[in-house]
Amino acid sequence: MPFIEELIKYKSCSIVGLEKNTGKTECFNYVLQRLPLENKRVAVSSIGIDGETTDQVTKTAKPEIFLREGVYFGTSEKHYLMKRLSAELLEITNENTSLGNIIIGKALTPGKILLSGPSSTNGLRRWMDEMKKYDIDLTIIDGALSRMSLASPTVSESMILATGAAYSANINTLVQKTAFVVQMINLDLTSEDNREVFNDIKNGVWAIDEDDVIHDLKVASSLSININTDGLKKCKTLFVSGALTDNFINHIRQNKIFNETEIVVRDFTKIFLTPMTYNSFVNGKRKITVLQKSKLIAVCVNPTSPNGIVLDSEKLCKTLSEAIKLPVYDLRTKAVGF
Amino acid sequence: MQLRKLLDSPCGLRFMIDNLCTHSSYSRKIMLESSMMYDKNSIEKSYAVMKEFYEVVKNDENKNIVQSLQFKLCNLKDINHTISRLATSVVVDDIELYEVKSLALLSADVKNILEKISLDKIIEIPNLDDVVKILDPDGLRIATFYIYDSYSEELASLRKKLKEKDVYQEEIYNEVMRIEDEIRAELSSKLKPYSEAMTLALNALADVDINIAKSLQIKEMGLCFPTISSDEISSYKGLFHPEVKHILAKEKREYQNVDIDFELKPLIIMGSNMGGKTIVLKTLAMCQYLLQFGFGIPATSADMMIYDEIFCLTTDDQSINKGLSSFAAEMKNIDAVIKSSQQNKKILTLIDEPARTTNPTEGTALVSSLVKLLQDRAMSLVIVTHYNIKTYNNKCLRVKGLIDGKMNYELVETHEGEVPHEALNIAETLGIDSQWIEMAKEIISVRS
Repeated sequence: MPFIEELIKYKSCSIVGLEKNTGKTECFNYVLQRLPLENKRVAVSSIGIDGETTDQVTKTAKPEIFLREGVYFGTSEKHYLMKRLSAELLEITNENTSLGNIIIGKALTPGKILLSGPSSTNGLRRWMDEMKKYDIDLTIIDGALSRMSLASPTVSESMILATGAAYSANINTLVQKTAFVVQMINLDLTSEDNREVFNDIKNGVWAIDEDDVIHDLKVASSLSININTDGLKKCKTLFVSGALTDNFINHIRQNKIFNETEIVVRDFTKIFLTPMTYNSFVNGKRKITVLQKSKLIAVCVNPTSPNGIVLDSEKLCKTLSEAIKLPVYDLRTKAVGF
Repeated sequence: MQLRKLLDSPCGLRFMIDNLCTHSSYSRKIMLESSMMYDKNSIEKSYAVMKEFYEVVKNDENKNIVQSLQFKLCNLKDINHTISRLATSVVVDDIELYEVKSLALLSADVKNILEKISLDKIIEIPNLDDVVKILDPDGLRIATFYIYDSYSEELASLRKKLKEKDVYQEEIYNEVMRIEDEIRAELSSKLKPYSEAMTLALNALADVDINIAKSLQIKEMGLCFPTISSDEISSYKGLFHPEVKHILAKEKREYQNVDIDFELKPLIIMGSNMGGKTIVLKTLAMCQYLLQFGFGIPATSADMMIYDEIFCLTTDDQSINKGLSSFAAEMKNIDAVIKSSQQNKKILTLIDEPARTTNPTEGTALVSSLVKLLQDRAMSLVIVTHYNIKTYNNKCLRVKGLIDGKMNYELVETHEGEVPHEALNIAETLGIDSQWIEMAKEIISVRS
């Protein structure tokens, strides 16, 4: 499969599902089976619990995570003891979860395991830092539920997106919704100058005017829309450090100052816009860009949903691939859309 | 009395404990759960141990070796639960075996370092080499663990079979699990005889951590090793309150150290407002706790008595929460002191401005009589007051006070009836409304 070659170019990858039961774990196993372990050190973990045999919410059968010999992993104490493989215990970290501290282990034989990694994005980042001492070449993170935040470039350099019938039962809607997420992931990076200016700003909304002067708009977050535009004639660039919401966009769209504004957000996980709002804002002169970007390596689909709906795999792959201009894989039927 | 319970006493002990740099949370727990010492022997013994550590720590040449020791001690974990499971013949799991192995390796490492700086006889760490041997059959001496292949040939061959195929082989793995369980049971019973040594090692390691932290604190804060007074006098030279000194240093101001000594008798401190009397009182309480928990003392030298009980009653007592008026709360607290003094105990009592919330006539009578009542009991009673009380020939000190507009915090001897009248002058230097102060001065001149 071609995307494995692409994947090993990066130090870290997160697998994100747009909905439960979109085939994340299957995708995870698929990747793990095909990685060239003989010359790459691979570590795996998840955010929250993963790899359970039945889905905790829908009670449908779920694939277990299968590790190969030599893979490093991070899981909680409880699940370490339930592992179905021989493993060397390398370290008990100070990272806490409700299932005990996170343990770093190394698989000595192939076998099955439940992964329950750090439960927060920050915890995950600390865990990845801790793994550095084992000279890991590639870290793969399995996401739980539809948690997007771990796909943030601050956590992982690349990502694989899993989508499927569980996200929407209608091929057209599914394609539309997925394509929009992909569009957000692939937003352009802002200019280098902007990155330098905004990278260390942790909060607030900031504007750059025509003369390259920076204004603090005195907004605690973009959830409050009372922005102070005193002394600002025309805004060239607007940096929103937190979440970018429909409400905020609709508010500034009315304001002539922002007629030709480039909105910069930290990364795509900060964007909470409906396609309608996004499209109404972005035109030839207005755009949205990001400070950091992670590489979308592939999109995988699961045409089956837990309530029994089965979509036409080949048609789904083909339509989606056309919409996002990226290869789409159904890992079970091996259907591919280019 | 546990150290933990005294953390929030108004004397400011928390600052000292928070500034103590222990490297493992287990050491901290052990320290906070330690009980106050009441006999000369154990106090002197604890200082003797600490002094040996201090001699090493104070020397900058040993900085690297001390740091490597601290770095090791970061890995000290509380595994008492695991040890007690082993002691009661429970079969422990891989995580627990890993913890035991880590402890055994850590003990050996720390022992090694202590040997280099000749402290291995000061705190003796039990030898756990046999434990290492049990859990490290290949002699790798690294702190990782699994049920090693060398424990069983059968296990090794089964694992080889597992590795041959990149799929999950249920039957073979079940067999592996069975053998691993057997080995775990065997290891657990082999480790059982060492459970006592492990507990000792765990506590000895915590002790090393605590002694290094206390020694470093002495070095960094400029504390001293106290002596235990052989006659019944406590005597401090260059006493200071570390937290206040720290705050002043931040504002680039200097702390004026004071000298003070007292016997098993009442001592009355008078003096102007803002003269640092309350701080002296709090420092004395803190020093007494520090002595009886074996810490460095914030003074240039200290010769101290040991007490059976310590009372520190200051104005920031939070009894309001108990629904008592400030006067009632204070009376109840002092009552407890009096009751305690009837039980043949040696007591240190520090009271900040007793009866301050009532009228001066009755207040003065209450304080004078308190001095008279307690003067013949086995008690060092230090009272700060503004009242012109009867002292019954007990020692009186006063703060030197304002000299050329500057406060001198030195304590000098004074006599009954010489209560300083500087409140108005001090208020003036604070820039308080002059009309008000002038009116007050007029009233005083009319009276006299």
